Amino acid sequence: MAARVLMQCVRSVARPSLRLCSVNLTVRTAAVSNTVSHRSLCFSGDSRRTRWLEQSRVSAANIDVSCRLYGDLPPLTFDTIRDRVLYVLKLYDKINPEKLQASSHFMKDLGLDSLDQVEIIMAMEDEFGFEIPDAEAEKLMTPEEIVQYIADKKDVYE
Amino acid sequence: MANPLRSEVVRLYKNLLYLGREYPKGGDYFRDRLRAAFAKNKSVQDPEKIKEMIARGEYVARELEALYYLRKYRAMKQRYYKDS
Repeated sequence: MAARVLMQCVRSVARPSLRLCSVNLTVRTAAVSNTVSHRSLCFSGDSRRTRWLEQSRVSAANIDVSCRLYGDLPPLTFDTIRDRVLYVLKLYDKINPEKLQASSHFMKDLGLDSLDQVEIIMAMEDEFGFEIPDAEAEKLMTPEEIVQYIADKKDVYE
Repeated sequence: MANPLRSEVVRLYKNLLYLGREYPKGGDYFRDRLRAAFAKNKSVQDPEKIKEMIARGEYVARELEALYYLRKYRAMKQRYYKDS
């Protein structure tokens, strides 16, 4: 959660400042070219060309930057959610990875207790970066249900 | 399942687990102890006794918080006042 908020902050700060930078650059080049043309007229055409070049370079950089993901993850899909949920569960030391199925019940099939279930939900919160309320967490008893719940919360549809 | 205090206990467990991650001896050590403490009393049925234990757990949570504050304060003091 915190990481996502931070990302958004960085992004929102980075964009206007870049725009500001580019404006500054164009202003500066304009000023330079003005002084140059005042001093000697023969350089004026040259400087105008460089100014134009510089502007185009800056705008190209701007486009590049707006395409970047800034380390944000690629968008979630149903399959990636399922893979990540199963991966987290496999790493949990009380679950036998061979027994684990997408439909296996934590208490009936895997022999865990309610405290284990709380820990699993916490691990999911860490993995996906949002909080699952206790009332809803109680009902999540199979990996499939967890996948469905996360997909609902993250607006992922098949 | 039907016990109305169940959600309270689960909430307490989750809260303590979060706090225990920063425990000086390591989160895993704390988690094992915490689980043992909860499992020891799992057969208690009397609501009064359960409430008593929840209060005890919340006391532990406050103690943990105090421990972290103290640790933070000591670290800051060591950094800013070398000779004291």
